[in-house]
Amino acid sequence: MILETLTIGLVIAACLAIFMDEAVYSVVSLAATFFLTSALYAMNGAVFVAVFQFAIGVGTLAVLFLSGEMLGGRMEKSPSRRNVLTVIVSGAVLALPAVFLSLFGTSSSVPPISFGETLWNLRAADVVLQGLVVFAVALGIGIVLYEKKRKGELQWTS
Amino acid sequence: MDFVILSLILLAIGIYGLLTKRELLKVFISVELIATAATMNFVMLTSSTGIQVGEAFLVLAFSTDTAVSAVVLALLVMARKKYGTSDIGEIVEQKKEPDQREVSP
Repeated sequence: MILETLTIGLVIAACLAIFMDEAVYSVVSLAATFFLTSALYAMNGAVFVAVFQFAIGVGTLAVLFLSGEMLGGRMEKSPSRRNVLTVIVSGAVLALPAVFLSLFGTSSSVPPISFGETLWNLRAADVVLQGLVVFAVALGIGIVLYEKKRKGELQWTS
Repeated sequence: MDFVILSLILLAIGIYGLLTKRELLKVFISVELIATAATMNFVMLTSSTGIQVGEAFLVLAFSTDTAVSAVVLALLVMARKKYGTSDIGEIVEQKKEPDQREVSP
């Protein structure tokens, strides 16, 4: 249950880092993202990587705070509570697939095939990489078209 | 498998921020999120297979990520000093102006 809570918190923090208007709030959300990622690594047995992630995250965030203060200027308005709640709910909904797979998936049962065989002999690595590329391209095209439509730049002519 | 989905979600959020946000700081944060997603995928596969060499290679990935962050932040500060803004659209507009002056005197 701790892993699922960390997963939901991680996605919410990532969403807040992107969607908050003020630079300082975005950097604070990015700090939460780094910290939760480090905790996830540590809980999965990769303590060495977790320590590295934490150290690098602290260094990056120190510089980001300085640059955010330097570039952002004064905070003129506090973020509206409705926007923050919308982003938090969206992040929690986005994290649901990973949480359901973690709770009810078959990741804990070891398949009879070894991992190396799955990746190389059955060409699973190729399929996963191709799927990632297709997914990223489709997502990008969809977002660009949506933004253009929202701004009224997209006009269908016959 | 659940961590692959989680890293995919982080990748999607990062790509969305990279495509839609015009502030250079937000673009940098999006790049950091994409790098975190890729690293997470690698870490989880490494820890599930038990091959510790992968974690050693991850140190290389971390150092590359840090170098990229340093360069992007330096460029960000320079752009802010030169153009007075960190909005990509405004920077592009300011870069267009001298060319237009040359074309139509």
